[in-house]
Amino acid sequence: MTVHAANPELVERISAARARKKTSRTLLAIVVLVLVAISVETTIVADTDWERMGSLGDVLQNAAKFFAVDWSLFPNLIGPALETIMVATLGTLLGVIVCVPATWFGALNITPFKPVTYPVARLMMTLSRSIHEIVWALFFVAAVGLGALAGVLAIAMRSVGFIAKMSAEAIEDLDPKPVEAIRAVGGSEFQVFIYAILPQVLPVIIGVVIFEWEINIRRSSILGLVGAGGLGLVFFRQMNTFNYAGVTSVIVAILILILFGEIVSHFTRKAVT
Amino acid sequence: MPPILQVKDLKVRYSLTGPEILKGISFDVGAEDFLAIIGPSGAGKSTLIRCINRLVMPTSGEILLNGTDVLKLRPRALRKLRRNIGMIFQEFNLINRMSVIDNVLSGRLGYVGNFRGLFRLFSKEDIARALSMLERVGLSDHVDKRADELSGGQRQRVGIARALMQDPRLLLVDEPTSSLDPKISREVMGLIRDIANEFNVPVLCNIHDVGLAMEFCNKIIGLQDGIKMFDGPTGKMNERRLNEIYAMEVL
Amino acid sequence: MLTGPMLTASPRIPASTMEWRRFKYPQSLYRYFGLLAALTFICYSVVYLNIPLERFIGLFGRVGDLLANRYFPPDMDYIADPDYLASVLDTIKMGYLGALFGMLLAIPLAWFGSWNVSPSRRFLYPVARFLTMSTRAVHETIWAILFVTVLGYGMLAGVLALTMFCIGFAGKLFAVEIEAINMGPVEAMRATGANELQVFAYGVFPQVRVAFTGIGIYTWDVAFRAATVVGFFGAGGMGWYLKRNVLEIETHRVAAIMVSIIALVLVSEGVSAWARVRVAKAK
Repeated sequence: MTVHAANPELVERISAARARKKTSRTLLAIVVLVLVAISVETTIVADTDWERMGSLGDVLQNAAKFFAVDWSLFPNLIGPALETIMVATLGTLLGVIVCVPATWFGALNITPFKPVTYPVARLMMTLSRSIHEIVWALFFVAAVGLGALAGVLAIAMRSVGFIAKMSAEAIEDLDPKPVEAIRAVGGSEFQVFIYAILPQVLPVIIGVVIFEWEINIRRSSILGLVGAGGLGLVFFRQMNTFNYAGVTSVIVAILILILFGEIVSHFTRKAVT
Repeated sequence: MPPILQVKDLKVRYSLTGPEILKGISFDVGAEDFLAIIGPSGAGKSTLIRCINRLVMPTSGEILLNGTDVLKLRPRALRKLRRNIGMIFQEFNLINRMSVIDNVLSGRLGYVGNFRGLFRLFSKEDIARALSMLERVGLSDHVDKRADELSGGQRQRVGIARALMQDPRLLLVDEPTSSLDPKISREVMGLIRDIANEFNVPVLCNIHDVGLAMEFCNKIIGLQDGIKMFDGPTGKMNERRLNEIYAMEVL
Repeated sequence: MLTGPMLTASPRIPASTMEWRRFKYPQSLYRYFGLLAALTFICYSVVYLNIPLERFIGLFGRVGDLLANRYFPPDMDYIADPDYLASVLDTIKMGYLGALFGMLLAIPLAWFGSWNVSPSRRFLYPVARFLTMSTRAVHETIWAILFVTVLGYGMLAGVLALTMFCIGFAGKLFAVEIEAINMGPVEAMRATGANELQVFAYGVFPQVRVAFTGIGIYTWDVAFRAATVVGFFGAGGMGWYLKRNVLEIETHRVAAIMVSIIALVLVSEGVSAWARVRVAKAK
């Protein structure tokens, strides 16, 4: 067996390319590290009141007060937990309703007047997705007052963007073959929609909606902080009365709720696809 | 007997500046014909067959189906015409997420109102008919399966059953075997021929596979680049004419 | 429409002996029951939450009025203030650090929490799964409040809250990515006798590097959005200004802050989309 001598020119080219890649990597790493250093200095080192915080032992002692669960609080959490789920559900539902026009305008192949409706719908979707639920909730509390309605509206507005974006994509990916088949048997346009379009799009949309519902439980669990009811309100009260074990109970309740949401979503999605 | 379908000087262009896909095609289909349209891909076979039920609107020409001028029909009348023309597709065009029987029943949509269609309220007769069609094509064990659980040959059988539900007076068949393997292809072609005989309907069939065309069809039309190169009984087709039709593809 | 002697098609198909009903017992019953239960729950929710349905009528107009009368025009001078701009910069830094720390912690968690490559399915897998799930389940604002209580007001609490949030967020996406890899290289590495860390570094990581970069950019984007509000609960950044002005009912200033948040988030979304496309192309 002979070992072939490598072509020197090729070797050189490869090692030069490697060196270039390496320098650019090192540069990127330096930039990242410098940014980290600057950020750590200003946000953590300079901004923290180290004296008030005390030693590590003090911090741990401070944190330890959360490591207890106030079991007696749980019966009082059932109502708020139910409220949280209901706000999430109604918010998702309202979001779906608002979605219908947004999807219609935002899907390239069905948008009624492309140069105007399409960009408007896309901008709305981005806006809805990018504004944090706390900001939405603050806005709606100002608009309709304290209470569950503000929460429902906030959740709805926050979810419209994602649901509409995914539904529009599902419609853009529509398979035209069944459409042709239903036209060929003499079906009306309505029947084409019911038989050829809906069966393709609906499972995707339902999957997205359930996924978003699960996320909305997490979101609605904190809307009480800004006055929209549910577990967030209990959390706020426990915090204000310095009942830290109660705070932990609320967090446990939230975990249970999210787990419940994940289980329901898992099985429902399995059932529809 | 007069021909059931007469096509006269049919021309198709998809856009004003685009190429002419069909450049003046004329032919007749008789009441007992199983007519094959052969030709290389891109010759305009699919376009031609889609003109007959106006899934494609021709630029000019005339299509007479039993005396009715297809190209002059208004939407409502067109739907009524379409419900009597069965169509079988290359990729089956089934609704994958629906059950086999609902796919077959969807062949009745032309006869069913919007409300009944919405809730899938088909009549007892329609359901009985769908079941016997499924029995006829050999799928009685798969009635409640979802269409996407079936194999290619089985899906095409569902497509055939759906076309038969329409009570068709003409069957349009678009490359029924291109997505199937050779053995299944012959079975499917045989089934289409037998059913055409049983139901007494003429068939207009696009087919890429010349061997199958020669075996199952009584008349052949050869298309090349939108022009009719051959029109006659299967017996008159020979090697030389075939080479002529497929000359472009050899290049 | 079509008549004529040869057109009266007479199907000579024998009547079917099969029976078929759309309603299947008990599957259809379960489905109807499920739907009914969902509908009941929704109606009950409306009643339970006392949602005033009549308030939906004209809601659009009232929200419009509110915007026009109380929030418009936004007080742009307020957000041009150097202090405010400094807080914006702080917010960006917080988001950056939180995303970075979160991702660094999320990578081992994702490794332990992926069924196919987890070094210990008995112990590390459930622990990692639980940690990712719970950091994700608890909302970033709750993390912010907890850290503020323990560590005091300031950006340290904000950074840590965002870190917790990003662990859960990135950890889940990372794990999904790892569970979808081709197991061939992993087996090859195991066959050479490599230890678990080497298997991860040589068999797993190269396969998911590009996807991780994309997820990383996305995480940064999401962390920035979250960073704009953690200050609302005392964890530093521009959220504090939002809270102060909401409490003081300085609506024109609130409007200006919201405008600035929306603008920044749109910019960050644009940058992140651009960067993700670049990464996907550079693959």
